[in-house]
Amino acid sequence: MASHDLRDVLNLPSSDPARPAKRQKPSAPRPNLKGLAREVQNLGGDNPISIVPDVSVFKKRRHASRKPAARWILKPFTNSARDDNGALVLRHWRRKTDDGAPPEPVHDGEGGQPADEGADAAPDADEPLEDSAFAKYNVRVQVPQYSEDQYTANLESDDWTREETDYLMQLAKDFDLRWPIIWDRYDYVPQPQTGEADASDPSTAMVPVAQSRTLESLKARYYEVAAKMMAVQKPAQYMTRPEFELYEMMQSFDPAQERARKEFALNTMARSQDEAREEESLLLEIKRILARTERFNEERRELYHRLDYPATDADINSFKTSAGLQNLLQNLMTVDKSKKRKSLMGPMPGADASPQTAVPGSAVSEPPGHHRRESIAASVTGGGGHRDSLGGTPATPIEPTSAAAAAAAAANKKKGAPPPERRKLTPIEEQTYGVTYHDRLGSGPTFRYEKINKLFSHKSGQQQQRINNVLTELDVPVRLTMTTAAVSAEFETLWAAVIKLVDLRKIHDKVDAEIKVEEAKRAEVARRAGVKVEPDAAGEAPQGDAAPVDAAADGGKGGEEEEQAGAGENDRVGALARPGSSGAHKRSASVLSTTSEKSTKRQKK
Amino acid sequence: MAPPAGKRVKGVQVFRPFIYGTTARPFDEKTNPKPPGVPDDHTHSWTVFVKGIDDVDITYWLRRVQFKLHESIPNHVRMIDGEKGKPFTISETGWGEFEITIKLYYVPESSEKPQTLYHHLRLHPYGRNEEEKEAMRLAGGDVISWVYEEQVFNEPYEPFYDILTSGALPPGGSLSNRPKGGGKTKGGKGGKEQSEVAARSEGGVLERSAMIPMANRPSHPFSRETEALEIKKLKEAVAKVNDMSAKLAAELERKNQKLAELKA
Repeated sequence: MASHDLRDVLNLPSSDPARPAKRQKPSAPRPNLKGLAREVQNLGGDNPISIVPDVSVFKKRRHASRKPAARWILKPFTNSARDDNGALVLRHWRRKTDDGAPPEPVHDGEGGQPADEGADAAPDADEPLEDSAFAKYNVRVQVPQYSEDQYTANLESDDWTREETDYLMQLAKDFDLRWPIIWDRYDYVPQPQTGEADASDPSTAMVPVAQSRTLESLKARYYEVAAKMMAVQKPAQYMTRPEFELYEMMQSFDPAQERARKEFALNTMARSQDEAREEESLLLEIKRILARTERFNEERRELYHRLDYPATDADINSFKTSAGLQNLLQNLMTVDKSKKRKSLMGPMPGADASPQTAVPGSAVSEPPGHHRRESIAASVTGGGGHRDSLGGTPATPIEPTSAAAAAAAAANKKKGAPPPERRKLTPIEEQTYGVTYHDRLGSGPTFRYEKINKLFSHKSGQQQQRINNVLTELDVPVRLTMTTAAVSAEFETLWAAVIKLVDLRKIHDKVDAEIKVEEAKRAEVARRAGVKVEPDAAGEAPQGDAAPVDAAADGGKGGEEEEQAGAGENDRVGALARPGSSGAHKRSASVLSTTSEKSTKRQKK
Repeated sequence: MAPPAGKRVKGVQVFRPFIYGTTARPFDEKTNPKPPGVPDDHTHSWTVFVKGIDDVDITYWLRRVQFKLHESIPNHVRMIDGEKGKPFTISETGWGEFEITIKLYYVPESSEKPQTLYHHLRLHPYGRNEEEKEAMRLAGGDVISWVYEEQVFNEPYEPFYDILTSGALPPGGSLSNRPKGGGKTKGGKGGKEQSEVAARSEGGVLERSAMIPMANRPSHPFSRETEALEIKKLKEAVAKVNDMSAKLAAELERKNQKLAELKA
């Protein structure tokens, strides 16, 4: 707002008569001001405010180097990727480098017009033309090469002739394995094989049918050839890893699968919105069905489980009596009750109250019996159901992702197998950790020696004594030094052998005693039949020294022999308190009895 | 007792060797002076222990041990909690021998009940002959009564199984980087022994494994060597017994015949 505007508003007479003339004047120096500066300037009205700095704006001076401008030259170049052998020479602009391209500056020195000279110099110097920077991107693929022999040895095919294979290889090489192009250009016309015959009979000239090949069949043939040639050049076992992977990949090329894949992709692309939606819903449906069958199977398995009677290795003899049964019933009842109480507020509190009241009255009444069966089932599933629920939980959600469903299915399958799969230990680990596998095991911790202890404690006191005696004879300490598995196994065989020996000895002693009895009988018979009666026969006869003389002489001698042998055996075995001693005792008793019998008989006489 | 976690691993048996026993030493003015406060009639100082073979740590499966000593000893039921890498021991003094009840409490992961061992404290060498008595005496006049035992876990619970089958070897059990032990094999177990050698690091046994040292060392009398010796002894005994039975059987046969003759 200028001062004259104020005056105008206040209706003051213009102080300056020559206003228009003045107004033109100051407008001249002002126009450069911009923005805020101009506003401030304007405030001053006709008298410019002196504080506004009058900044003169210059173009910034360029601080670029004072070097002469870079020189560019038009350089010819060839492209080695072309196979016209450098016939085509094109030119492109290149910055001329003083030191980068030494030949030129050296040649030309500091000529006045380097640009001109450069342009001239290039053709003159007959320099090797620059190769295009893009030539390196022209990579030729390695197409398998094969000789005649190799072809006949490895590559013969019913479907492919040698010529067509060559043709395919050529195309593959030409188009750098760009399969769509190869397929597009593939136009193999088989050469008439019997040229002369055809030529001679032009009327029936065979027009060879160009066999149309699919992209997959082309690929299959190519990969087959390539893989075989690879193997020919380098047996598979010598290949390096990437080589072998490539080989594997080429070998496992399956044209049918490839075709199916493409078809599938095509279908997927081609389906409409509605179709896509329908497909999705169908998939969901399938998943649901699968989940349902899973659950159904689960339930069925559980049912089977229930039907299985609980295997028990406990003694059931106690339940064979009616009193035992009663007891069992009571037990189950209490278990049941406590279980029910835990799940208090169950669906039917009344139903569970009735058996409870029925218990004291008649334990054998119908409701408890029914109840019992139920509780057995419950207890059975209580044991096995735990495992089921562990594996089963992932299967229960109705719509799991397909992966989850598959995993759950796998888990179920695994669970179905009797031994649950766990981390497999290597034999070395099994050794180190002392892990062994057994068919039957009573679970829980034990000590290795306990087994041997049991061997002892399962025998009667007398037998233990005998066995200990034998072991002492053998100089085997009763307590083993190192009860490792191997040692205990060895001890068990020893144990069995010792038991056998002890039994044998028992039988032996019995037989001995019987022999004695028989001998005594004989002696008696002989004595009775014979005329003379030895006064000392009663006492001495069994001992064998004063053996009966006549009829029983044979037997007596035998007995004596036996006795000596027995004694010998005794000595050899060691004169410890062995089972024989008790046998001897018995024997003497029986002998006594026979003698007493004899004496009574004699008395009768 | 913690409720069983998981389920038992069926058909699997895992064992761990360990040693328990007593070491006693008579009081002596020079070598083993009586500490103050010990009653006059006490003649020996002794130690009862439960430890791993070759002094390896066993606290990963054995949590604590209860030693029940003779009632006349003050505070005669003693609970010893495991300290990693240390044996469970009690040292006492006394004059009489008695039976010590050793109760082993397993780690909670095992969910197993405690088991009991009985051991007779020996203050004086005991044996059927001098030789056996001498075997109980160590160089320093110690009377030892040590017992090798194997703790067998039948069908351990899964968490415990995992504990028992880990820790000693790198996972996967690859031993390629492990130096092979001296290829020292002994008769009896043949191939098994061979692989055992491969699994063994040089020297003693691996921690947390069920291995037994290859050879005896002073104050480590339990090893594969001893085992082999014992097996040999037992085998000989078996042969002897079989021999005896065969002879006896033959004799019995003869006697039976004779009996039949007599009876006829």
